[in-house]
Amino acid sequence: MKLGRTMLMELRCSWRGYLIFTLVVVLILAGMVEIFPSVSEAWQHELDGAENIDIVTVMEGDLAVIELTWVEHPGADNYTVMVGNSPYMIVPMDRVDGIEGRTYTYQAPPEDGTPPELYFSVSAMVDGERKFVGAESTMERLNPLEETLGLDYGDIRGFMSVIWGMWFVLLIGLYIALAAVNSVSRDFEEGRMDILLSQPVSRRQYMLEKFSLVALVTMVLLVISGVVSVASVNAVGELETISASAILLTTILSWPLFLVIIAFSVLMAVYLDNSKKALGITFLFVLVQYGIHLVGDMAEALEYVKPFSVISYWNHDSLLHGEAVAWGDTVFLLVLAIAFVLSALYIFERRDVPA
Amino acid sequence: MKKKKLVMDIRGLTKYYGKVVGIEGLDLKVYEGEIMGFLGPNGAGKTTTIRACLDLIHKSDGVVNIFGLDSHRDSLEIRRRTGYLPGDFGMYPDLKVRTILKYLLSQNGISDTTRMEELARSFELDLDRKYGELSKGNRQKAGIVQAFMADQDLIMLDEPTSGLDPLMQKKFYGFLREERENGKTIFMSSHILAEVEEVCDRVAIIRNGHLQVVENIHSLKEKMGKKLVVEFENSVDTGLFEMEGVNDFSIDGRMVTMIVTSNLDEVIKTVSRQNIINMSLETFSLEHLFLTYYSRGGRDP
Repeated sequence: MKLGRTMLMELRCSWRGYLIFTLVVVLILAGMVEIFPSVSEAWQHELDGAENIDIVTVMEGDLAVIELTWVEHPGADNYTVMVGNSPYMIVPMDRVDGIEGRTYTYQAPPEDGTPPELYFSVSAMVDGERKFVGAESTMERLNPLEETLGLDYGDIRGFMSVIWGMWFVLLIGLYIALAAVNSVSRDFEEGRMDILLSQPVSRRQYMLEKFSLVALVTMVLLVISGVVSVASVNAVGELETISASAILLTTILSWPLFLVIIAFSVLMAVYLDNSKKALGITFLFVLVQYGIHLVGDMAEALEYVKPFSVISYWNHDSLLHGEAVAWGDTVFLLVLAIAFVLSALYIFERRDVPA
Repeated sequence: MKKKKLVMDIRGLTKYYGKVVGIEGLDLKVYEGEIMGFLGPNGAGKTTTIRACLDLIHKSDGVVNIFGLDSHRDSLEIRRRTGYLPGDFGMYPDLKVRTILKYLLSQNGISDTTRMEELARSFELDLDRKYGELSKGNRQKAGIVQAFMADQDLIMLDEPTSGLDPLMQKKFYGFLREERENGKTIFMSSHILAEVEEVCDRVAIIRNGHLQVVENIHSLKEKMGKKLVVEFENSVDTGLFEMEGVNDFSIDGRMVTMIVTSNLDEVIKTVSRQNIINMSLETFSLEHLFLTYYSRGGRDP
């Protein structure tokens, strides 16, 4: 049986590249998860002295009633409360001095039926000097990146979602595009396609073996990455928050997405037989898909662009949060990959091999 | 007499590259056990013909049967039985020649490397060097070993001696003759007339994508005639040589030059009736024949 010999030869030529890339992925992955605790702490950073203040918001008719209670400050004669719409209080919206007790109630109209987003700071007057007691907000989410981009570095699921959905999908996508284009284009450019295709090997077999090798290597890379992710998450003590199976499922189910990229790369390689052009178009494809995916994630108003990005069909965020697999999306990616492979076969079998 | 088996049967082979003619209406037959030379200048269509036979490029029109099999439909079987040396080729620069050749052998379902080793020894090729480290000549040797190592019935060679030194070329010609003795059919393109003359049984001359002539080399030379140059003691009557078989007659004083295509015996007898100071009879080389074809735009000489 001659099956697989083209694959083995390709592996023989490119194993060093695959190995180095896998090591790079593993190291970056382990390193990123390792810093999760400090990232999480920084991300969940609260306003200074927030622990000294309790805040309760109640909707009463047309008003939001916000009740503040704070701890006693040693030697305090009275207290001052400032209200603002930012944590900086440079120009407070309201200011009340000489509060004798340790409670204060503020009333404000709601915004779109929800309590207003306000910041409060409490200070104590001690022997004629003002001492800071603490600051607090009516908002649950305090991180502006989390507010605007929906990023959640504070939670391991959100953190892994960002690692995979923003960084590794691009890193792996670009690398496998390079590997897939090179596996075919090098045979054209280094002048051996004539000899290779003059052997009793069909063009179909040649091309499918080239595709299959990159696909298999990618699967191995994903499995290794998944296992390393689980081990790293375990090392930072977060396996209670996110299950190992959710991590493995997320990484492994990215395979159909990468198959689409590999198939598109092979299609470009056989169509153009010029690695620079093929790589240029393939990289553009990956970057445009990535860009659309990011834009679609930025705001609800832009979500309508997401179906135009293949990356959006890999539901990494919901998988990491333990939701069920969207098999329809997975099947769509597989069908798209098959369509690209069939197109590549159609073109390759009908074209002349350049001399 | 046993009829020779037809190995390559090309009828009306045409290949256009867009509006450019690669080859047009090419008819050619190659028989078992012969070495067919395919002669023509660069760009004449030699490589196009070979690559169309191996289905590396798709013909625009015509029929190509090899071993009685269709060149497109049955290309796998044809390639199983055909060795090929491209005119310009590369291999894996970072791998040892042995690794590459073993891989190509395995694609033919062969694991025995004995013939590969023998050929490498014969052509003084170091199998344990990386292909990228080889000189142009040694790369060509690797290509030659590659073409012959699977011991196939038909070998197609595109400019096979390109880059070989003269000694190695001689060795290669000897090897080709041995292969022919072993029953191999060899179809080789070349623009080196001397090598075609030295090893080929028949020659096909191609020009601008059109076949000009296909002929046994000896018959072709016969057809071309011989150049007879005679220096007479005295001036001779021009009418003396107006006879059958004498072409391109010219007189320069007492020096007479003529091309004799037939009736040589009668011509010599006629010449010898005069007093001769010097005389030479020269067989045309293939080079002369080739140039004649080209200078006459391919018309019969």
